[in-house]
Amino acid sequence: MAVLKDLRPVYVVGVGMHRYQFASDINYIDMGLTATRGALTDAGIPFEAVESAYVGCTGIGLAAGRIMFNHIGSTGLAVTQVENASASGSSAFQLACFEVAAGLRDCSIAVGVDKYGDQVRAAQKEGVGKLSDTANIPLIRYAIMAEHLKKAKGLTQEDLAMVASKNHTNASTNPFAQFQKPRTVEQILASTLVAGTTTSLMCTPRGEGAAAAIVCSEEGIRKLGIAGGKPIRVLSSVLQSEKPQVGRELPSVTVAQTVAEKAYAEAGITSDQLDVVELHDAFAIEEILYTETFGLAPKGEGQLFLRDGGSAIGGKCCVNSSGGLIAQGHPLGPTGIGQIHEIVHQLRHENGPRQQPDAKTAMAHMIGLGTIAIAHIFQRD
Amino acid sequence: MDLEKPDLYRLSEDGRTLVLRAARCGACQALTFPMSPYGCTACGASVDQVSEEPMDSAAQLLTFITIYQKLVPTITPPCVVGEARLANGAIQEIMLDGAEDRFADDMPIVAVPVEVARKDGPVIACRFVPASEVS
Repeated sequence: MAVLKDLRPVYVVGVGMHRYQFASDINYIDMGLTATRGALTDAGIPFEAVESAYVGCTGIGLAAGRIMFNHIGSTGLAVTQVENASASGSSAFQLACFEVAAGLRDCSIAVGVDKYGDQVRAAQKEGVGKLSDTANIPLIRYAIMAEHLKKAKGLTQEDLAMVASKNHTNASTNPFAQFQKPRTVEQILASTLVAGTTTSLMCTPRGEGAAAAIVCSEEGIRKLGIAGGKPIRVLSSVLQSEKPQVGRELPSVTVAQTVAEKAYAEAGITSDQLDVVELHDAFAIEEILYTETFGLAPKGEGQLFLRDGGSAIGGKCCVNSSGGLIAQGHPLGPTGIGQIHEIVHQLRHENGPRQQPDAKTAMAHMIGLGTIAIAHIFQRD
Repeated sequence: MDLEKPDLYRLSEDGRTLVLRAARCGACQALTFPMSPYGCTACGASVDQVSEEPMDSAAQLLTFITIYQKLVPTITPPCVVGEARLANGAIQEIMLDGAEDRFADDMPIVAVPVEVARKDGPVIACRFVPASEVS
């Protein structure tokens, strides 16, 4: 079976964003086109050069992408809307990569755009009851896991606050982040207690925004005259869904490990080579769990990696330099592409105060309700 | 009084505890809970191969926390939820009756009927309590 690296090389050549923000009166088209135009300007190409678009969104409605493109030029490009819960943007990006890698197109755009929608979930229409009224709320499962790890492995509430403090502080220099204030561990701990030891500032906010990434083949790069230094190679892109829970580990954590290991193998790298990771930190405990499952820290020692500064900018592998979902925000459709925006700037060495020194290899990871996990590996040539 | 979630449980014969409505698959023999109206969630066999089987609600409490905010309309915070290993071995989120100080990790628990208020009147909900308090 072929994997992405066996096919035509795919490169991200342009990225753009509209700031993530709390719900507003701004039309989704304004946000989506701001991100799209930003990516086109970054790549230095006209919209007419884009042959296909994958649009990740969850809360706008049918055919949001095609309606949006009415206002930038109806070029006849292929448009597909992608819904995969929190991983909608990540999945849109994957499909754009696969299409270019397969040789069907030379230039494709993935756009994530979302407004705060009605949040109707298919799980509510499943027709199967649950013993607990909060069984479909991911926060509760993660808060229970944090409680378990507190007793089993010495994880503290201060560790969770340290994750949130790091990510809020990273976001304070990110002009696209929903929260742009540095926050101390004490401020995180003093915020509203939600469940178990989890406080409100340890959780992602909900909001809206947009992000876009343009991918090209080598032929597309040559044909469109895209400047050297811009393209960042996509080495692998892997998606899987969870299997039934075995033991105490959450299925979403197990599948995240499966996906990361597959992504490393397909890319031909090891976790030691990762300089930058943007991961799904909807709740602070997730960052600690995933740094372990991704092999950045030994199992059970994610909090030690954090405490030692391993995940800080300038550490062994900086995690969520954008501020992550906790502070950059999580408008669903755009989130996975917003991660790629950060990674591309990191690997181009253009990330200003959030630059990870000598960054060469990076991973973006998202979880989507259901649960699915998706990961992409990127490398600077 | 009606059961709040009759698809999940029914009263035991003496009415002091609840019996969970599980499903036994004739193809793979797995005992799964809750019952799926679509087939066996373990092996995928069609629903005509699956039959209802009562499952003891005795369980092992693994971990529990207090919820402090009204995250869904049907809870009244503070309330306690946890993860428990049910009689079929599966780990599921459950709702506990009372405050945290009533419970401990690894404690045997059992589901009991608890009256809760709903907008159309009171119903019998499923809440877990220490098994030692029921026996």
